[in-house]
Amino acid sequence: MHWFRFAVLVLLATVLQASLLADWNTKPDLLLILLVFFAVYCDTSDAIICSFVIGFAADLIGQTMGPQMISYGIFGSALAYLHRVIAIRQIPYQIIAIFITALLAGSVACLLNFLKGEPSPLAPLFWIALYSGIVGPILFLLSAWWMRIRKPGRFGRR
Amino acid sequence: MAWKQITVSRRMLFIWFMLAGFIVLLSPQNLTNKFQFAFTYVFRWPLTIGRNISLSAAKQQPIRDKDMVSRVEYERLLNHLANVTQQRDDAQRNIQNLSKMRNIPAWERTGFVLANVITVSVDRLIINRGKEDGLEKDQFVLADNSIIGTISDVGTRSARVRLFTDPASVIAVNIGNTDWRLMKGCGNNQAKVEMVKRKLDIDTKIMARKTPGFLDTPMIIGKVVRCEHNDQPLVWDITVEPVCNIQEIESIHVIVMNPSE
Repeated sequence: MHWFRFAVLVLLATVLQASLLADWNTKPDLLLILLVFFAVYCDTSDAIICSFVIGFAADLIGQTMGPQMISYGIFGSALAYLHRVIAIRQIPYQIIAIFITALLAGSVACLLNFLKGEPSPLAPLFWIALYSGIVGPILFLLSAWWMRIRKPGRFGRR
Repeated sequence: MAWKQITVSRRMLFIWFMLAGFIVLLSPQNLTNKFQFAFTYVFRWPLTIGRNISLSAAKQQPIRDKDMVSRVEYERLLNHLANVTQQRDDAQRNIQNLSKMRNIPAWERTGFVLANVITVSVDRLIINRGKEDGLEKDQFVLADNSIIGTISDVGTRSARVRLFTDPASVIAVNIGNTDWRLMKGCGNNQAKVEMVKRKLDIDTKIMARKTPGFLDTPMIIGKVVRCEHNDQPLVWDITVEPVCNIQEIESIHVIVMNPSE
């Protein structure tokens, strides 16, 4: 796992999400796409670390600190374990994985935000999940090139 | 020197990170906000550049006919504004003469802190002014001469603005000349005022209520876009939208009452 490249990629996605995409009403969630990417292409231990780190990055540009770190951590880890049983390599499966993860992680983050007294709207969640699913496979290619993954499963699955 | 490899089981790794997550979640918000403000401060240049690119791309869209005003119309409106301003000043002089006491206009006791928007998150803005510039929690924020929200968190050099459309926002607004209600944000660029005793027309201006120490005079906050019957008879629920395009705001003013300078 190239941790320096990972850090640069996550920082870039965080800055883009908070600046270039910030004014869009409906937008893909770049960090969530990266969450699914690392859950699918990393070994399980690295995927767990990546999930929580990406969640922390999402919290930095989110409403409050904590909810997304927890929700991304849970669903990123779950996806990494699921990927040991069901391979998520083909594009349609990746789209579905991104869509479902976005809905579930977003719902849990909304719930935790609500419990923290900072309610956030649930309505945009479906569109964020949909757009993320559409943009996801393209970002997967760019991320694979940046992370020097020449073929799926380069990091191996242990 | 050989490093001893530390091996941690996946389960322990997950538990540690979950614990860290819950510590962050349950920590006081004024403490955890420092992480967000620090990130915004460190990356303020790329964040501002990215947002400017986004805004300039949005502005390159063709101008619709209804958004354009001819030069003649523009001059006419400018003249009208000058006339109204003059009439207001005359009326104020008359009031002073009649009351025989000095009537200080509200804005003379008010300071405005200009701030640039660094980034926009869901129904919130992060601006490049903080405690050092005299900002405090709950101060009102203006954009295009209308109130858009209040300061929710303040850092040393940055602050977060909670827009009135945020679901956590509650602001008192005037309904007519005598009645007032609480306006609650409901996301999606809208806020709601419930249990209004009379029906309001679409595009009726809604004014934020005077708040001692924060706002000395009512100011426009939004306009009515929908007025629907409440479940109870004879009362109405109104939906309010901002009167300016919040997505395209580049700078805002924070109202600071009785500034030290």
